[in-house]
Amino acid sequence: MNETKPVEVDLDDIEEICEGFEKREGSAVQILQRIQEKYGFVPAEALELVGDVLGIPKSKMYGVLTFYSQFYQEPRGKFILRVCVGTACHVRGAGMLVDKVKEELHINPGENTEDMLFTLEPVACLGSCALAPMAMVSGTAYGKLSPDRMASLIKQLEVEEAAQEQEKETV
Amino acid sequence: MLTETMEEVSSSSRMATGLPVIHIGMATCGLASGARPLLEVLRKEVAKRNLDVKIVPTGCIGMCHNEPLVDVTIPGRYRVSYRNVKPNTLSQILDSHFQKNEFAKKYATCQIPVEGSVPYEGLIMMAEMPFFKGQVKIVSKRCGIIDPLSIEDYMGMDGYKALEKVMTKMTPDEVVQEVVKSGLRGRGGGGFPTGMKWSLTRKSPGTEKYVVCNADEGDPGAFMDRSVLEGDPHAVIEGMLIAAYAVGNAVKGYLYCRAEYPLAIKHLRKAISDAKARNFLGENILGTGMSFDIEIKEGAGAYVCGEETALLASIMGERGMPWPKPPFPAQKGVWGKPSVINNVETLANIGHIILGGGEWYASYGSEKTKGTKTFALTGSVKNSGLIEVPAGTPLREIIFSIGGGMVEKKIPFKAAQLGGPSGGCIPVDGLDTPVDFENVVAAGAIMGSGGIVIMDESACIVDTAKFFLKFTQDESCGECTPCRVGSKIMLDILTRITEGKGQEGDLDELVRLSMYVKSNSLCGLGGAAPNPVLSTIRYFREEYEAHIRDKRCPGTVCNELIKYVVIEEDCTTCGLCEPVCPTGSVTWEKGEVAHIDLTTCIRCKACVDACKFRAII
Ligand SMILES: Cc1cc2nc3c(=O)[nH]c(=O)nc-3n(C[C@H](O)[C@H](O)[C@H](O)COP(=O)(O)O)c2cc1C
Ligand code: SF4
Ligand code: SF4
Ligand code: SF4
Ligand code: FES
Ligand code: FES
Repeated sequence: MNETKPVEVDLDDIEEICEGFEKREGSAVQILQRIQEKYGFVPAEALELVGDVLGIPKSKMYGVLTFYSQFYQEPRGKFILRVCVGTACHVRGAGMLVDKVKEELHINPGENTEDMLFTLEPVACLGSCALAPMAMVSGTAYGKLSPDRMASLIKQLEVEEAAQEQEKETV
Repeated sequence: MLTETMEEVSSSSRMATGLPVIHIGMATCGLASGARPLLEVLRKEVAKRNLDVKIVPTGCIGMCHNEPLVDVTIPGRYRVSYRNVKPNTLSQILDSHFQKNEFAKKYATCQIPVEGSVPYEGLIMMAEMPFFKGQVKIVSKRCGIIDPLSIEDYMGMDGYKALEKVMTKMTPDEVVQEVVKSGLRGRGGGGFPTGMKWSLTRKSPGTEKYVVCNADEGDPGAFMDRSVLEGDPHAVIEGMLIAAYAVGNAVKGYLYCRAEYPLAIKHLRKAISDAKARNFLGENILGTGMSFDIEIKEGAGAYVCGEETALLASIMGERGMPWPKPPFPAQKGVWGKPSVINNVETLANIGHIILGGGEWYASYGSEKTKGTKTFALTGSVKNSGLIEVPAGTPLREIIFSIGGGMVEKKIPFKAAQLGGPSGGCIPVDGLDTPVDFENVVAAGAIMGSGGIVIMDESACIVDTAKFFLKFTQDESCGECTPCRVGSKIMLDILTRITEGKGQEGDLDELVRLSMYVKSNSLCGLGGAAPNPVLSTIRYFREEYEAHIRDKRCPGTVCNELIKYVVIEEDCTTCGLCEPVCPTGSVTWEKGEVAHIDLTTCIRCKACVDACKFRAII
C-alpha cells in the first residue's frame, strides 16, 4: 500500500503556498518548508514551479535546497526515527541506539525501510540533553533510552500502524 | 493608557484566583518523561475527587533529570514540589493535600515561597537545596514557575513592565546607557558587549532597521535557549521590543528558531498572538506611535546558520553562507539595512536589567563578565539540567555542589567539555577555573553559549575530539578550503588513531593543521573547529599516546582497541559467558577456562556484563 507513488504536483497548490508570504523573494526557505510539510519531501517539479513563481533561477533554487540538511528530494518513511547523536547523548551511549535501529530495521542513517514505515535520521541534539540518550519520533520525545527500549519503541509503532491499517480495512 | 492595561491584568492574574493550583512540567524534558499521560491521570483523579483546582502547565525549572515534576499550591500555603512523579504516587499526593491538608512527606522534594503565605514545617526550601543553593535566577526566574502560554501569568511576574518603563520614562539613549551600565555581554557565545552593539545600530543611519533574535542554538549538548523559549517566551519578545525602541526606526523583528524545537515555536506563536491582542506588538503600540511586529523564521538544519551573517542570509531565503565582516550587521543586515542581532538569553535579560537597573545587574558576576549565565549541565553528572549562576562561579562548584558530582559514584571525573564544537576540555587540574569569558579561554576552552558536558573516566578523550571534528566537518559550509579540507584531513588522522593505526608524528601534524585551519577560515566555525583537538592534546597527551603507541584506549571506547580476554586466575569456569555471545566467539567446556576469539568478537560487551566474577576485561 505504501509504495512510492508518483506525486502529483499542482501548480495552484504551489501558488497558494507562495501567496502566504509577503516578502516573497526572501521566503524561498519557508516556502520549501511548507511544500515539504505537504508532500513529505520536495518534489523536483515543485522546486521548479516555486522558482518560476518567485522568479528565481533553477540553479539557485537547487542551491538553497541542497544547502539545508532538512530538505529531502526523495520520499521518506512514515515514522522518522530521529535519534540524537549530540554530545550529551554521545557520551551516554547514543551510538548503541543507532546500532540497534540498524540491526532491527536493516537500514543505515538516512535510509528508509522497504515498507516506507521508518527512516533513520541521526540528529545533533534535540535539546533534552539531561535525559540523554534520547530520540524523537513524530514530535514526541523519548528520554533515557536503552537499546532495548529503542527496540520496543519500534515494535510499538509497528503494532499501532498495523492496528490502524486494520481499522481502515474494516471501515 | 499604558498603565491602565497593566493594572487590569495584575488583578486578573491566574495566580491570584484563590483556587488551589497544580503545576505540571510540560517542557520538552517533561514530555519526554511522560508528562502527557501523567496529565491525563491528573485530570481523572481531580475529576474523581470533585476538586476545584487549576491545572497549569509550566516550563523548565532546571531539574530536567527529575521530570516529570508536579507542584501543588494550596491557597495560603507555600508551593510544594514533587519530582519523578508516577501515576500511582499522584493519587497519594492529592490525598495528602486535599484530605489531610498536609504535603506528601514520602515524595515531596522541596517548597517554594508564595508571597503572603505560610510555609510547611519539615520541608526544605527550594533555595536551600544543594542544586539551587549556588544558583542566582534572573533570566530563568519565571521558567518552571509560570504558565508560558499565559500572558497574564507573565504580567503577574513583572512582565511587560520594563517595556512600559522604557516607553513612558526613558529615551532610547537612556535605554542604551542602562544596558551599557549593566555590562551585559552577548550570551550567544561571542560575548560582545550588548550595549555597544545597540549603540552602533542606533547610530547607523537609516529609516528602516531590524531586530533579529538568534534562537538557532546549534551547539549539541546545549539547551539554555530552549528552556527560556519554552518556559518564558514573552521575555524574549519583550527584549526584542525594547531593543527595537532603543535602536530606533525598527520596523520589524525576526526570530530565527531551529526546527528541532517544535514546542518552543508553538509557545512563541501563542505568545506573539497574545502580545498582539494586547497591542504590545503591532501598529501604534500602546498609543506611543511605535509599530513593530515579529516574524518567526524556522531553521532548516544547518549549524553554520547560527553564525550571524549566515543567519541573516538564511532569513533572506538564501543559502546560509557567512559573509566577511565588515560590513557588520549593525551597518548592513537584513535586506541590507542596519540590524541588531542578539541571542535569546541576551534579550531575555533585558527586561530584568531595565527594571532592576544596570548597576544592580552588574553587581553580579566577575570583573569582566557581569551578571549571571545559564548552563546546560549534562553528561555523566548526577543532577543534569539547566542552571543559572553568577558569572565566575568555579567549575568545581557547578559540577560537585550544584551538579551533585558524578552519576556513577565509582567512576571519577575526567573532564568537562565547555563551549561545544568551538570549545575544549578542562581536566581535573582546571576545576577551580572561574567560569566566565576570560578565565575559561585561559584554561583552553570557551564559555560559549553555555553547554557543559561532564565526562568520567569511562569516556575517551580522543573519541570526543573526533566527535566534535566530525560534527564541524559535516557542518562546514564549504566556502573556504582550510575549513572544508583541513578539518577533513584532521578527522582522518583522528579516525586512524582511534582505530589503532596512529603513527608517531600524528600529534604534531594535528597541531600544525589546527593552526592553519584556525587562522585561514572566514567564520567562527572553521576558526574554532580545531579547539577541541588542541585543548585535548594540551591536557591529555598521554591518552593520545596510549592510543598511538600502546594501541590502548584507557576509556575502553574505541572498539578497534578493545581486546577482551579472560583472566585465567579469576575465571571460575562457570560458563555464564558462553551463551550470551551473539557471534559465538566465546568457547567454554565444563571445567575449563573460557576463551574469546578476538577475530570474530564484535566488542558488544555482553560477556563482560554476564561474568559475575569480573574475569573478562
Ligand atoms: C559557527 C557559529 C555558530 C553560532 N551559533 C549560534 C547560535 O546557535 N546561537 C547564538 O545565539 N549565537 C550563535 N553564534 C554567535 C552569533 O554569530 C552571534 O555572535 C550572536 O548571535 C550575537 O548575539 P549576542 O551578542 O547576543 O550573543 C554562532 C557563531 C558561530 C561562529
Ligand atoms: S570557516 Fe567553514 S563554515 Fe565558516 S565560512 Fe569558511 S567553510 Fe564556511
Ligand atoms: S564482547 Fe560480545 S562478541 Fe565479543 S566475545 Fe564478548 S559477547 Fe562475544
Ligand atoms: S562467566 Fe566469567 S567466570 Fe564464568 S566462565 Fe565466563 S569468564 Fe569464566
Ligand atoms: S545531545 Fe542529545 S538531546 Fe542534546
Ligand atoms: S525541561 Fe523540565 S525541568 Fe528542564
